[in-house]
Amino acid sequence: MALPSTDGGAAANAAGPEKRYAVEFSASTSEYFRIWIVNLALTIVTLGIYSAWAKVRKRRYFYGHTRIDSESFEYRANPVVILKGRLIAVALFAVFYAISHYAPLYIWAIYLALLFFGPWLVVRSLAFNAYNTAYRNVRFAFSGTYRTCLGLVLGHGLLTVVTLGLGFPFLRRRLVQFAAESHSYGTTRFALAEGFKRLFVRPYFVAMGVSILLGLALVAFFAAVGVIAGGSAKAGTVRPGWMSTAIIAGVVVFYALLFLQVAYIKARTVNAVWNHLSLGPMRFESALRARDLIWLYLSNFIVVALTIGLATPWAAVRSMRYRASKTTAIASGPLDGFAEGQAQRVSVAGEEVADFFDIDIAL
Amino acid sequence: MTEFDAVYYDGRTSARQPVRVRGYTLVIQIVGEGLRLDVPLAKVRVDPPVGGTRRALHLPDGAQLQTDDHGAVEALFPRRHALEGWVHRIERNWLYALAAIALTAAFSWWSVVDGLPLAAKIAAGFVPETWEAKLGEQTLGFFDGKLCRPSALDEARQRALQRRFATLTAGLADGYDYRLLPRDCRGIGANAFALPGGTVVMTDPLAKLARNDDQISAVLAHEIGHVRHRHGLRMALQAAGLAALTAALFGDATSITSLATALPVALLQSGYSREFETEADDYAFQRLREVGLSPKAFADIMLLLEKSRQKATGGGTRDYLSTHPATAKRIQRALSAP
Repeated sequence: MALPSTDGGAAANAAGPEKRYAVEFSASTSEYFRIWIVNLALTIVTLGIYSAWAKVRKRRYFYGHTRIDSESFEYRANPVVILKGRLIAVALFAVFYAISHYAPLYIWAIYLALLFFGPWLVVRSLAFNAYNTAYRNVRFAFSGTYRTCLGLVLGHGLLTVVTLGLGFPFLRRRLVQFAAESHSYGTTRFALAEGFKRLFVRPYFVAMGVSILLGLALVAFFAAVGVIAGGSAKAGTVRPGWMSTAIIAGVVVFYALLFLQVAYIKARTVNAVWNHLSLGPMRFESALRARDLIWLYLSNFIVVALTIGLATPWAAVRSMRYRASKTTAIASGPLDGFAEGQAQRVSVAGEEVADFFDIDIAL
Repeated sequence: MTEFDAVYYDGRTSARQPVRVRGYTLVIQIVGEGLRLDVPLAKVRVDPPVGGTRRALHLPDGAQLQTDDHGAVEALFPRRHALEGWVHRIERNWLYALAAIALTAAFSWWSVVDGLPLAAKIAAGFVPETWEAKLGEQTLGFFDGKLCRPSALDEARQRALQRRFATLTAGLADGYDYRLLPRDCRGIGANAFALPGGTVVMTDPLAKLARNDDQISAVLAHEIGHVRHRHGLRMALQAAGLAALTAALFGDATSITSLATALPVALLQSGYSREFETEADDYAFQRLREVGLSPKAFADIMLLLEKSRQKATGGGTRDYLSTHPATAKRIQRALSAP
C-alpha cells in the first residue's frame, strides 16, 4: 500500500492511464417510499421534533446508494445536532414572519440583515454539509470564508442592480466558482479550469435573447388580433372576457417560458462546472440535456400533483438517478491516495437556517 | 462467534483494504494482508441501519469498517439503536407504510380542518391585547402612508358615524380600545376593515353607498366581530401553521414540483378566511339585535355592495379564490337570523 505524501497526497499517482467510473445510484423507489412515508408520519405525529431524524435517515439512504468505484458516500450528521439547528431556524423564521406581516414598514431592515446574514448562512451551510460527507472514510471540507462570500455578494450584487439584471449570470458564476474551489476532499482541493467561465454565462444570455424575441412576437400577435377583433366589433362594445383570456394566456406563456429557461440554464451551467472540475488526479464529465430535464421536471410536477404528493419520493429517486446516469468520474490513477485532512467540527446553525430560508448555491 | 467480510479504512487515507472480521463476546478481530487488529466491542460505534445501505463500523482513531453483511452487524451489536432500530423495522414493512399513509392523511386533514384553527385560537389567547394594538398600529401606518387620506366627508356626517360606532361598542368591556377611522382610500372602493386591537377603518364610498345609517351600523358590527374574535391575529397564526405543515409534507419536492402545492394552500387559506367572515356575521346579527336594530340592515347593505362590485368589474368575475362566502348565502343567513 503506497503511503501518501502530506501535500495533497493524490499527486503521487497522477500519472497513468485514465479509468472511467460511472456514478451509480442504486436506490429503489419502493424502499425509499416506505422510508419517506414512515418518517413523514413520525414527523407529523411528533409535531416536527422527529424531523431531524427523518432528514438524516433520508440523506443517509440517498448518500448510501450513491457509489463511485463501488464505494458509497456517507452522511454523518448527528440528528440531535440538526434538531438544535432547526430550533434556532424556527425562532429566526418566526421573527422574520412576524415582522413581514405585522411591521411591513420595517421590512427593509430584514432585507438588509439578510444581505449580510445570507452569505454567512451559505458559507456555514456548505461547511456543515462538506464536513458531514465522507467517501472511503475521508471527509470533505469547505474552507471558504464569510468575508470572501460577502465581498462577492456585495460587489457583484451591486453590479447586477446597476446593469438591471444583466450582471446576474456573472454573480452566479462567481458564487459557483467560490463554492467549487473552496471544497476539498481530505487534503486535496477541487479546482475549476478557466474554460468554464464562458460556457457558464452563455446559456443565460441565450435564454434572455430568446425570451425577448418571443415576448415581442407575442405582443405583435395580440396587437394584430386586437386590431382585427376591435375592427369587427361595434364601437363602444366592451369585451372584458376577451381581455382576461389574453391576460391568462400571457401568464401561462410566461410561466411555460420561465420553466423552459430554468431547465435549459440548469443543464448547461451544471455541465459547464462539472466538465471543468478536477480533484487531484480526478476529473468529471456531466452530460445533462435540457430536453431531458424539461421532461423530468414536467412529469414530476404532474405526477406529484395528481397523487397529492405521494409520488414525491418517486420524483426524488428518479431525479437523482438521472443526474447520476449522466455523471462520470475519470481518474488517471487509483482512488487510494487521498489523505484525510484535519477537519474542524462545524456548527449546524448555518445549515438549518439556510435550509429554512431556502438559500443555497447548488452545483 | 460471528464472522464476516468487510473493507477496512485506516482513517488516514482513502485506501481500502479487504479484511475478514471475527466477532467475539467482547472484541472484534480484524485480519487482512499485513494487518491484525483487536478492537473492544465497546469502542466500536455503529451507525443505525437505513434501508439496504452498507453498514459502517467506526473504530477508534478514525478508522472504519464497511460491510454489506447486515445480519452479522445485527448479531454483534444487538439493540444499539433503540429508536432508529425500531424505525428501520417499520420502514421495511409495507403494512406499516400503508398505515403511515393513512395516519399522515388523517392527521393532515384534522390539522387543516380543526387542529390549526384550534391551535391558533389557543395561541392567540397568550397574546396580550396591548400587543395586538401595536400590530394594528403598524398596519394602519402602512395604509395611511401608502393608500389612504383622512375622510372627505363633512363634519356632521362624520359625527353621526362616530355616534353609531359608539352605540355599537358601548359596554363591550373586552379590553379593546375601539375607534372608528373614516378614510378616503385609493383603489379600495366601498369597504371597511378591522385591524387587530380595535381600530376599524371605513372608506368614504361605503358611507355614500349606504341608503341609511342602520346599514352602516351593520357593517361596523361585522368589523367589531372581527376584532372581538381576534381574526387578524388568528389568521396570521393559522397561515404560519399551514406553511409549516406544507413544508413538512412537501419539503422534499424539488422547488419546481413544490409549485404544485401553492394553489391548494391558497384555497385552504381562503377557506379559513370564509369561516372568519361567517363568525363575524353571526356576531353582527347578535349585536344589531342587542342595540335594537334588525339584521335585515346587513342583508340590505350586502346587496348594495354586491351590485356596486358587479358594476365595477363588469359582472362575471372569476371568483375562484373568493375570501368571502357567497353573498346570496350571507344575505339568506341575515334574513333568517334569530
